[in-house]
Amino acid sequence: MHGQDVALKGVSMTYPNGFTAVHDTDLDIHAGEFFSILGPSGCGKTTILRMISGFIDPTRGRVAIGGQEMNGIGPNRRPTALIFQNLALFPLMTVWENVAFGLEARGVGKAARRKRADELLELVALTGQGDKKPTELSGGQRQRVAVARALAVEPAVLLLDEPLSALDLKLRQHMRAELKAIQCKTGVTFIYITHDQGEALTMSDRVAVMNLGRIEQVGPAADIYNAPATPFVATFVGEQNVLRGRVVGRENGYACLETPLGRLFGVDNRGLSDGTDAMIFVRPERMRIANGTGDPANRIEAEVERRDLEGPFVNLFVRAGSHSLALHLTNSGTAGQEFTGIQTVGFDHGDAVVMPTGELARE
Amino acid sequence: MSELVRTYGRGLTALFVGLIVAWIVGLILVPQIRMIERAFIYEDRGGETAMLALEIDRLYTEKFKLEQRLKAGEGSGGGSGLPSPSLTPSPTPAPSLTPSPGLTPSPGLTPSPGGAGGGLSAAERVGAEARIGELNAQIAELEAQEDTSSGEAGMKESYSLDNFTTMSAVHVEIFVMTLLYALCVTVLCFLICYPVAYAAATMQSEEKLTLLMVGLVIPYAINELLRIFSWVMILEKQGILNWLFDALGIISMDAGEGFRFVASNGAVFTVMIYAYVLFMVFPIYNTIDTLDKNQIEAARDLGASVWKIHTRVVIPHAKPGIAVGSIMTFMLSAGSIAAPEIVGRGLHPDWFSQLIYRRFFEADSWNQGSAYSVALLVACVAFILVNMAIFKVGIRDIAK
Repeated sequence: MHGQDVALKGVSMTYPNGFTAVHDTDLDIHAGEFFSILGPSGCGKTTILRMISGFIDPTRGRVAIGGQEMNGIGPNRRPTALIFQNLALFPLMTVWENVAFGLEARGVGKAARRKRADELLELVALTGQGDKKPTELSGGQRQRVAVARALAVEPAVLLLDEPLSALDLKLRQHMRAELKAIQCKTGVTFIYITHDQGEALTMSDRVAVMNLGRIEQVGPAADIYNAPATPFVATFVGEQNVLRGRVVGRENGYACLETPLGRLFGVDNRGLSDGTDAMIFVRPERMRIANGTGDPANRIEAEVERRDLEGPFVNLFVRAGSHSLALHLTNSGTAGQEFTGIQTVGFDHGDAVVMPTGELARE
Repeated sequence: MSELVRTYGRGLTALFVGLIVAWIVGLILVPQIRMIERAFIYEDRGGETAMLALEIDRLYTEKFKLEQRLKAGEGSGGGSGLPSPSLTPSPTPAPSLTPSPGLTPSPGLTPSPGGAGGGLSAAERVGAEARIGELNAQIAELEAQEDTSSGEAGMKESYSLDNFTTMSAVHVEIFVMTLLYALCVTVLCFLICYPVAYAAATMQSEEKLTLLMVGLVIPYAINELLRIFSWVMILEKQGILNWLFDALGIISMDAGEGFRFVASNGAVFTVMIYAYVLFMVFPIYNTIDTLDKNQIEAARDLGASVWKIHTRVVIPHAKPGIAVGSIMTFMLSAGSIAAPEIVGRGLHPDWFSQLIYRRFFEADSWNQGSAYSVALLVACVAFILVNMAIFKVGIRDIAK
């Protein structure tokens, strides 16, 4: 088994009812990588998945897998395998029959099927469970059966449609590690669809963030989080404090923004000209209580409204004028109890991002 | 029960329970038991009992004739000139339980004109009276021997299997063929209904589905007989189908050509399939509808052919629906009488249901008719059980 690359070129998908789910999209997924497509529901990510798996053909543009044109080729003749959101295991077949179904469809003999099914069950740590029915397994085990069933047909590309969303938190975290391990072991290209940023960031080599049928940013997980390209990516992935303002100048490469809470500085990768309406984004964990130390700029006087203890860190909610800001502070042993009343909060120039005004992700 | 009382109160609960008991006992158990009982009671219509009844009837007739003659003699002897009062009740009280029509000439309705039967000599009168006395004695003696257990004169009833064992070879053949025909109808129905049900269950567009369903249901708003007759219109020698062939130039109706579609197995099967198609479509549709459509896509994604998808994924899931549909179609077609009667017109091999009808109402042998019905019932129950075994479904799955 080894992975193949997937390429989408100028792909659009308009459904018969006139709804355009995907607009003119280009995407290059490398062979053997763990690639996630992250976006809110209805953003078109499932449509992209179905176009790669072959259940639908794009109305415009081309899909290629391993350099081969795929338009017009059905899902049963593509080197892909899909893991459904609800897994879609065959409840009337035993686990091993489920796993070997793809081989059965290819006319492999029963003994060979059984042998291969057992190998795959071993790969997903389900040795000896082959003769059970899927309903007798736990949620995580069923998950692994679905993975084994998809891998049985030796796909070059494995497509996963939010397969972990039905699991509880602990199991989900465990399965993330397992999926990643299986991907490393097999070298198959994984394309993972999710609306859960945690899943996308922890497992993926690269992530594409989608909104309203368009890809907003593609890059390694760290870039997506630390250097969002659009206001949507900035606010959809992780939490952000957002302030609107106008660019009024530039200092040491940082843009200066005139906001209702004073002049604030942040990283500007686009070279925004003065007078542009813009937004400044700061992650709550980059914010701190200034206490007269650090950067004298980027200071805001604010009143502490609420303090939530989350164990290792403390969420502090402060109010400055009509704006609410959030701070994630490390719990240094006092659970943040010393922060009451009026405090000066601030952040470093390099920890804020300035972008032109655009659409934000809805909470 | 207490649950019912709490929800509906005592009065309504009593009504419900009463209705259910009346339904089960009055409409199912008692008629069935009576039917089965009759099936096992053999009516002997030609044995000793029948001979005895005939003999008694003969004696009564002779006695009656003599009495008539005596009466006529009295009338003329009195010389009153008036016709004897003709409406006096008959002197024969007809003790035999059979009214024996034909044997008893309506007494007293003919006013005996004086002189016609008169002129009996005294010796003759004495002789006749003596003979009547003799007849009375004989009648009494024979009636004492008569077995009236059956409630019908001349008929001896006894529990036996004769109603079944005396079934003629022709009838047995019809019985077997009917089951085979019903099986054919069931299989054909399944072959037609499965694709329709699958298409309906996997249909994306709600509007199309509604249209299809309405199209399927509308014919069933029409009386079954009318539906059958409309098929007669189509299949008639002068019917629509031949007319269509004529229009296409395949045959010439003017020259008297035309296919005789009616009165063939094909025609009866066609009409029956049309009549019972819905009973197959809906159970299958209902089960396929509950199938997670992702399973079909998953199978397709794993490279399964259309055949494989259906044999491994869809049909195993639809089994209970197929079983229910087959049972309903089989029962209905095995017991159908209108379609073979109207479309078959006596020219096509009989169905067993027609035979049962004729046993009841033409041979006037209800007990044998009951036996035939019971035989059909047992065959149908056997079919259900075999069907359930083949499809590996229990009563519970069917109830779903």
